[in-house]
Amino acid sequence: MKNLVLMFLLALLVIATASSLWRTFAGTATIDGVRPLVAIGTDPVPPFPPPPPKPTK
Amino acid sequence: MESNLVGYALQDLGILIEASLVFYLAWTGRWKGQGAVAFYLSSLVVGQVTRACFLHEYGWKSLRYYYAYWSTDFLLVMSAFGIVCLFFRRACWREEKMWRLIRLFLVWLLVLVAAISGVFLSLNRHDFFTYFLVVFNQKLYFGCLVLNTLLYLMLHYMNSADDQLELLVCGVGIQFAGPTAALALVHLTNGGRFAKWLAYQTIPLCTFGMLLLWAYVIVYVPKSAGGFGPRNVPLPAVPPELSKL
Repeated sequence: MKNLVLMFLLALLVIATASSLWRTFAGTATIDGVRPLVAIGTDPVPPFPPPPPKPTK
Repeated sequence: MESNLVGYALQDLGILIEASLVFYLAWTGRWKGQGAVAFYLSSLVVGQVTRACFLHEYGWKSLRYYYAYWSTDFLLVMSAFGIVCLFFRRACWREEKMWRLIRLFLVWLLVLVAAISGVFLSLNRHDFFTYFLVVFNQKLYFGCLVLNTLLYLMLHYMNSADDQLELLVCGVGIQFAGPTAALALVHLTNGGRFAKWLAYQTIPLCTFGMLLLWAYVIVYVPKSAGGFGPRNVPLPAVPPELSKL
């Protein structure tokens, strides 16, 4: 039980770090007004998708 | 046009190297010993051949290629997560207790990424594909980047004797860290001209760099016993007459 909670907290920490990296490096970067994304593969990257619309309440 | 030609050449070369490595592993009978590598290379071949078909059929700017590219990226990011998990398994194959903890941690990580993505997707059903890409793929990609870095640090901290694994992990690191660094440059230069050009080129170039490193590792670096433990043989004791010098 203790390990389960500890590993959960560790996973949460990794996700928080990954999210911070994403926000710092990628989330705010734009090329010609659109947000670039990271991917895997040696293929030519298609034109980056438009930024997602803001969520509606 | 020139840039497109280089892009197509890089794509075809990448597929060629991946297919050759899969063939080499099968031909030399190393398929079983290098299961993780073979699994990831096979995923890359499947994903990239699909992309190449769409690219040659519909063109670079077509919407179909865009959807094919990012849909296959889901497969590749999942495979990348899989290979990082398998590398963790290989790193601590003698440490069953540690592996049980790490396995729990990796399962939690995937569940949390899926849960967070699920919440975002349920809030934005009108633009499922874009949100799916941005939230799930990108979060898992950056999660893999952090995991791979942790694995690299763990291998060094625990003084791993598996040189081949270290180099394979470095290869995955090139693939993950390169595009992230390019995006950081885009952010720092506010979308400068060079950064913009670099951001488009880094993704294929870094995967290509990883493939070259892996090709070297698979062909020239033998698989050692692995596990954690002292890397070097202890030095012989210094004779008493020399120790006085």
